[in-house]
Amino acid sequence: MTITQAPARTTTAPAPTPRRRVPLEPYLYLLPHALLFFVFTVYPIGYGLYISLHRWDLLNPVKAFVGSEFYRNLFTPGTPQADFFWKTLWNTTFFTIVSVPLLLAAALGLALLLFRPIFGRTFFRAVFFMPGILTVSVMGILWRWMFDNQIGLVNAAREVLVNAPPIPWLSTEGLAWVPIVIGTVWWTLGFNMTLYLAALGNVPLSLYEAASLDGATPWQQFRFITVPMLAPVTLFVFVTTALSSFQLFGQSLVITGGGPSRSTQSVIQYITEEGFTNAQYSSAAAMGFAFGLIMLIFTAGQFGLMARDVKGD
Amino acid sequence: MTNLAPTAAVRPVRRRRRMPRDLPRFVLLCVLALIFLAPVYWMISTSLKSEADAISLPVQWIPTQLTLDNYREILTSPDGNILRWTGNSLYVALAFTVLHVLLCALTAYPLARMRFPGRNSWFWFILSSLMIPGIVTLIPTYIMMLNFGWINSYHALIWPGLSGVFGVFLLRQFFIGIPRELEEAARLDGASSLHILWRIILPLSLPALATLAVFAFMGSWNNFLWPLYTVTDVDKMTLPVGITTFSQRYVTEYGKLMAATTLAAVPALIAYLVAQRFLEAGLSTTGLKE
Repeated sequence: MTITQAPARTTTAPAPTPRRRVPLEPYLYLLPHALLFFVFTVYPIGYGLYISLHRWDLLNPVKAFVGSEFYRNLFTPGTPQADFFWKTLWNTTFFTIVSVPLLLAAALGLALLLFRPIFGRTFFRAVFFMPGILTVSVMGILWRWMFDNQIGLVNAAREVLVNAPPIPWLSTEGLAWVPIVIGTVWWTLGFNMTLYLAALGNVPLSLYEAASLDGATPWQQFRFITVPMLAPVTLFVFVTTALSSFQLFGQSLVITGGGPSRSTQSVIQYITEEGFTNAQYSSAAAMGFAFGLIMLIFTAGQFGLMARDVKGD
Repeated sequence: MTNLAPTAAVRPVRRRRRMPRDLPRFVLLCVLALIFLAPVYWMISTSLKSEADAISLPVQWIPTQLTLDNYREILTSPDGNILRWTGNSLYVALAFTVLHVLLCALTAYPLARMRFPGRNSWFWFILSSLMIPGIVTLIPTYIMMLNFGWINSYHALIWPGLSGVFGVFLLRQFFIGIPRELEEAARLDGASSLHILWRIILPLSLPALATLAVFAFMGSWNNFLWPLYTVTDVDKMTLPVGITTFSQRYVTEYGKLMAATTLAAVPALIAYLVAQRFLEAGLSTTGLKE
């Protein structure tokens, strides 16, 4: 199993020492990616920490050390950073709390509807999956139009169906979440549905047969066979969905622009505003670390699920 | 895999499903499909109406007068060239995909099929980077792009993403499953490791490579936040970012906006139809390894 093809003829000494020669070849294969990995993954973490501890002004070559000032700002009531960081963090959390259960339950529902053979199954699957391939700006502009304050399709339908006056969805605090959440569910439901469909295919049919021989009702079969058998995939779907919900950015940026008055601004949008619009790079870098620490709960969960599957050779 | 066979064999011949029993399910699916398709219908139908018709009340569910004016205006807009943005996106996504698949294969190969000191430590070291949320490196990487002079350059859209490790994980998992006998026979014939990778490992890994390529392409194509801030020159923008400039320019001219979004959706739809198999298969195999 050892690598015999390693370029062993590097030195003239045939080295009669025990054959513990370290082969060079594997490292050459690893080198290109390793270089990029150090430059674009490892280095930016340290660099970001450095930036967050200094006052980074593009015009000023002297970057004064300020210690934890930008972190302390986040915990000093009255600073705009503290106000807006926590407000937008709450916005993001709210979005996650509302959208994740919807994205799990509706995806499971669709998967159950589609799992058993039915006429047009492939077509239905494609229809439910298709929105997910649209890019976020297309999806966002479309849902902004759907919920337009005056003549969007939703207001038009309300007028026709219940003869109600138009609701200014996009400019009403609270209601502005509706197009963002519905748009997101429409957009990403198909991914979770596909995962659930695959998992349902892995539940042995014999379980259901045994259960129905024992007189279990369809509900009991769902409750005591389907639900427990789907627990692993549900955990996976939950972690990945929560992770992507926490990274809310494009949907609210395009649909509401974060408004009205920051009520739908996501924390990532606020960090980009602080960094790129206000050119407060150090402050934004500090917020990136603070928010990253919170996200670590979910990324570590996802990592744990992946690590479980790592195969040995 | 062998576990599935007995269950399939045991499966009794189910009594032929009578249509009435499935009818409610079918009707429900039809209603849901209509709800899912409604926004798409609304997008296309709005794009074919004049601006006046688009916002007229009562609503025109079916356009009374079809017009291609919106498309004509969008395609000749002085504010940006949607075809050019599509080309830019295609260029960036293709370049990224080719380089990414190549790098991941080169990295996964020794990690899966060679023995050398530090192999497992390196694998777990790079894998653990999956835990680092992207927001942490956003600002420092942006400053690096400034220092490199890569703002408004496609280098910014291609190189940083190439350090990703998910593809390494995916390919390593696949490479490990390839029988060693195939490789050893070639080795006895004096084949180099590069030859083995190119002639044996990669041809046997086409499904995994295709899955990785589809994910890489989609990821790059749909990338939004990063290009939004690194490529601000209108001529160099990628499609998702370019479209948002229309959103700011034609704020409520929904006929034109819908023509733009329809045009932007076409390449994605075509790609989906071509790659559907790999996309859905990849999603379910990478998602849950039982």
